[in-house]
Parts: sequence; structure tokens; C-alpha cells
Amino acid sequence: MVVVDDVGGVEPLDLTPEASRPDRSARRPWSVLALVLVVVAVVFVLLRTLGDASLFFYEVDEAVDRRVELGDDRFRVVGTPKPGFVDTELDGRAAVVFTLCVAEVSADVAHMGDPAELFQPGVPVVLQGAWVVGTPPGIGGLTSAADDGWYLRTDHMVVKHDNDYRSDEAELETCGAGS
Amino acid sequence: MTGRRDTTGSAGSRLLGVSALVGVAVLLLFAFVLTDPDVRVHPTTGEEFGQFDAVRLLYLHVPMAVLTYAAYILCAAASVGYLVRRTPWWDVTAYAAAEVGTVFCGLVLVTGSIWGRPVWNTWWEWGDVRLMTTLVLFLLFLGYLALRRTTVDPRHQARRAAVVALVAVLDIPLVNRSVEWWENRTLHQQSTLAELKIQDLTLFTLMLGFVVFGLVAAWLLLHRFRVGWLEQAAAEHGVAMAIAERHAELDMPDVDAAVGDAGDGP
Repeated sequence: MVVVDDVGGVEPLDLTPEASRPDRSARRPWSVLALVLVVVAVVFVLLRTLGDASLFFYEVDEAVDRRVELGDDRFRVVGTPKPGFVDTELDGRAAVVFTLCVAEVSADVAHMGDPAELFQPGVPVVLQGAWVVGTPPGIGGLTSAADDGWYLRTDHMVVKHDNDYRSDEAELETCGAGS
Repeated sequence: MTGRRDTTGSAGSRLLGVSALVGVAVLLLFAFVLTDPDVRVHPTTGEEFGQFDAVRLLYLHVPMAVLTYAAYILCAAASVGYLVRRTPWWDVTAYAAAEVGTVFCGLVLVTGSIWGRPVWNTWWEWGDVRLMTTLVLFLLFLGYLALRRTTVDPRHQARRAAVVALVAVLDIPLVNRSVEWWENRTLHQQSTLAELKIQDLTLFTLMLGFVVFGLVAAWLLLHRFRVGWLEQAAAEHGVAMAIAERHAELDMPDVDAAVGDAGDGP
């Protein structure tokens, strides 16, 4: 304690420095942690997106054009299922075989597992899988199969819903012969 | 403190709140009872298909998405205002808009995911550009809100937040236009309203959704602004009190007198 007690005979004056007041620029640790978590989340999302984007996205005609080049590579393919599908088994697993098309180009598909709930002819789907040389089982049951010695073996199916909410005017996608 | 100052409500905001509440009830009635589910009969197979009851989420999801844009654009505009004028009004407005926008953006992601499970066959699609840009927008503004709390200095806080808001808002055109720019590379559908592929009661209920969620957003924004303004006033009051205390500590007439006596020497 620093005391000055001889200033003109008045009461002793305590000149001890006060404890410092909180620094107004001080950081709040929990908020900094939250900020770090957000940054980590953004980086994760971007890496995940870039990783997923590396899975090429083709329409059926592009996928058919590039099938030799694609080889065993996995990719995404978007197209419209033609009418008719066959429930079958492939390598001991349930599969559904159908034909996917865009414009006049078609490709046969063996989708492993159950198809999407809204899977219907004329409603576009996005599939993930790879080309296989051969003929999928049950293809004889399809009336408008491509049957060209190649098929897409896929294991992920999502339905690409249209933006038309006029139920009485909704039109289905059509393509290829027999759609 | 008077009763009026004990609350962020006022006659106008109460009217707004009641209107929003009634509006939400009416919207839910239209969305979940009066409108039909989306059921179509397939021309080839004869089977029913469509979105069924999932379509009802359209009346919540789309208006909330548009209000997310509106709130974040307001946040960015107020941030520009702050950087130009450096007054708390702009900063409090930006903060309030960011919070409201983040609530709506979170709900957009949740309702979209709930809709996506039955319609798309997935809760989430990592490769979809619309989904990813929306998630990034949400995370950027979560970062904005976290950043605002990393320092207790209000000027640092406001200045940094304003810059972050201006960067984050650049994601909005990407979110909005992604379904057109990557039309064949995205799972998310294109705009229904732009092509007016909606009609009758479905269109009316969607428009009602815009009005009702607009009222909800305005009510939230108003109250959040008032809370923010009170917080800012309280912080200023705290600083003023601290200064007054320091002045009081230093205001020692005896010392003054003593120093004065000493100074009066030869």
C-alpha cells in the first residue's frame, strides 16, 4: 500500500493502483469456440461438397457416349425411366431392372435394393453407380430395353421432382421409343 | 422505470403479433386441411403418384426461404449503413435481421429435409448445389452471430460483423440462381412461381404463406430490434455509470484543497 500522509496536514491518501478493469477488447472463450466450430463446419461442408462433386453427373446420352472412357468409375446419371420394370435378383441381392432414357438414347439399369417410393415411368431419377459389360437378369421382361451389352449397376436412387403444381396439367417426361 | 419501458411491446407491435398469430392459424388451416394433397394418376400404369401430403410443406418452406433472403439482404443493407454512418441504429438493425434470417434459414433446411425424404427418397443430398449453398449461407450467418459475441467491445463487434455480413450475403444469388445455372446438375426443382406452374387454392395458400410469414418476420424483427436497442442502451448506461464512479472517486475536495494550499506557497 502506498500512502501519502503529509499533504498539507490532511487525511492519508491511498494511492495504491486499483485492480485493472476488464479489458473491453477481451475475447469471450465460448463464443470463440462457437466461431471455430462454425468455421470447421463450413470447411467440412465445402470439402464434402467438393468430394461429392467429383462424382460426375451425366445425362443418359452423355453417360452412353463416355462409357468406354468411364470404365468402372462411379458417376451420377440422370434420366427418365421408361414404362416397365422387372423385380429380380443380382448377386444374391434384390434388384429392379428397368430402362433409363433421355431424348432417343436409352440405357438399361439394374438398381440394387428397393427403388424410391415415387419411382414411376416418366418421372426423372438420379442414380449413382457404374457401367457393367453384360446383360442384367430379367431384361427379357422389358419391352423397350436398350439391350446393347452394357448396363448401369446402381445403388443410390433419388427422384428428381418437377416444379409443376397444376395436378390436372402435369405432363410426364417422355423419351425414346415406347415411352 | 415505467410500465411502458418494462416491455418491448407497444400497441402497434401487439396488433402485429396478434395478426401474425391469427395468420399462422389460418395458414395452417389452409395448408393442412383445405388444400388437396398432390395426387396424380399415372397415364401409363394407372397408379397414383405425386407428392401426396408432402406438398403441404410447400406453403411453409417457400415463404420462409424468401423471407430468409429478405432478412439477410436487410442485414447487409444495414451493415452498409453502419459502415457509412457508424451509428448503433444500423448495427442493431443488422443484428436483429441476421438473427431472424438465421431462424428462418434453419427452418428452411429442416422443412426441406422433411419434404425431401418422401419425395426425393433422401433426407439430404450432398452433391446438390441448392442444398449446399443454403447450408453454407446458414453456417456463414451462424458465424456472423458467433463473431458478434467474441469481443465485448461494441465498435469492434459491429465493424467486423458488418464486413462478414457483406461477404456472407454474396451467397444469396448463388442459392437463388443455382437451380437455373446448374439445371441438369441439381436435384432441387426450378422455380414454380417464375413459370407460374401453380394455380387456384394452391397458389392462394402459397401467397397467404408469404403474407403470414412476412408478418411473423416483421414482428420478430421489431422485438429483436427493441431488445437490441435496450441492450445497447444498457451497455452505454453501464459505461456512463463507470465513468461517473471514477469521477466520484477522483472528486476529493480535501485533496483539491490541500493541493491548492501547497500551490499557494511562495
